[in-house]
Amino acid sequence: MATELSLTRRCAPGRHPGKVLALATLLVWLAAGAPPREVFAPLLEWSPALAKGFALNILISLLAIGLGTLLGLAIGALNLSPLRLLRLPGRLWVQVFRNAPWLVLIYFTTYVFPFEIRVAGHYLPFPDWLKVTLGLALPASANVAEVFRGAVASIPGTQWEAARSLGFSRGQILRTIILPQCCKRMLPPWMNLYAVITMGTALSSLVGVHDLLDTAQIASNTVNRVGFTVLIYFSVLALFFAYCYPISRFTRYLERRYAFR
Amino acid sequence: MNAWLDAFVQWTAWLGLDYHFLLDTYERDSFVAGAWVTVQLCLCTMAGSLAVGVALAAALVSGRPWLAGPARLFVEVTRNTPTLVQLYCAFLVLNMLITEVIGGANPFTPFAWVVIVISLHKGVFHAEALRAGLEAVPQVTLEAATSLGFSRRQRLWRVELPLAVRVALPSLVNNLIEMVKMTAVASAIAVGDITYASILIWTQRDNVLELMILILLFFGLLSFIVNCLGRGLEARLRMPGYGH
Repeated sequence: MATELSLTRRCAPGRHPGKVLALATLLVWLAAGAPPREVFAPLLEWSPALAKGFALNILISLLAIGLGTLLGLAIGALNLSPLRLLRLPGRLWVQVFRNAPWLVLIYFTTYVFPFEIRVAGHYLPFPDWLKVTLGLALPASANVAEVFRGAVASIPGTQWEAARSLGFSRGQILRTIILPQCCKRMLPPWMNLYAVITMGTALSSLVGVHDLLDTAQIASNTVNRVGFTVLIYFSVLALFFAYCYPISRFTRYLERRYAFR
Repeated sequence: MNAWLDAFVQWTAWLGLDYHFLLDTYERDSFVAGAWVTVQLCLCTMAGSLAVGVALAAALVSGRPWLAGPARLFVEVTRNTPTLVQLYCAFLVLNMLITEVIGGANPFTPFAWVVIVISLHKGVFHAEALRAGLEAVPQVTLEAATSLGFSRRQRLWRVELPLAVRVALPSLVNNLIEMVKMTAVASAIAVGDITYASILIWTQRDNVLELMILILLFFGLLSFIVNCLGRGLEARLRMPGYGH
């Protein structure tokens, strides 16, 4: 009985979902018969615009994670400070921006910031996609700060004590002992956050940024054919999946590799 | 009531915030109605997502490839695609196809689609948490249950799930808080939730900052309530010597 139980437990639930998905897509394709030309021709026609939209998505996500990481590390450092006066603003920032819906933050940055900024007598345009980037960088920074705090807290306290007894100062312990170990521990959750932000960039279509989803909507309204609408929305889904799935696989690989060390 | 509102509007005006929409009966009512719709959305999706989570987790650990394979596929696709795109695929594509097949009498409202999509989306995250919990159930306990004559289903319901829920509860509560925030995407397909009601008001009055503060406070309150309920449940279900 015991062996049977352990066997059923270990039965791998679909080790390669990517391959299964590709196969399923192929089957659906074949089941639908010969792919109708009038559906695929517009897709080919629209693909440059879709690619441009997706590039904007990726640009927004990269900028947002970059800004968010810089800001988040600064706030995480504030949260580590022994002074309560310095910790308080950090805690408040993290609480507010982790508990706010992303969509609401995106609306916030889009409508509150001006559409151009005056710098030294010149008017610089402040495009919507940059505002969306800021809107995504805010929650990203709060999450990075939490990741940072978690990584520092995960280092055993005995290391602090051992270093202290060797005569290291607090700053030295942080810089030379704790932080180098944190980098490794922060990588998997940070990549996870990046994937989530990339998915969050789809929200930018709601404030009129011409991203992938917005382009798909325009295309579906322009072509106005049932088959094409089905196809284009599912291609958007597939594109996001193709970009985020490898990231999440790699994250899981890193998690397994860094576990128990 | 009105005197209080008046005083509030006066006071905030002194701070430089324009809350005059609260004095307009129509706009105030639409805002309150939006808040109520958000609460309804939260309650429906909570129930739906937990049901989906249990079903998916059961499928994932069932050990039957024809059940676990599609479940895993569904989990991966849902986790790695944006909710908004899923919502569009459901509302703009599936809804359209359903309308084409059965004509004008489509029973699915935008509200129902949001509940379905968010339930499925968050159910996946619940399933992952529950799966971890199910895998943490000691093998000996399962053998004991089997030797006492529990069938597979009985074992799952009466032994594994009660224990798994205790382990998974912190991440389940975390997911539920995420879900509360996620209901804001309902405004994308014109469900009249609090975000949508606010958009309608601020396009008239240009008081984005003021409404934003109210929305953030409202979502903060909802998350706080969910968190408190979760903590309470955790304390109630705690079994000395099991789980954390």
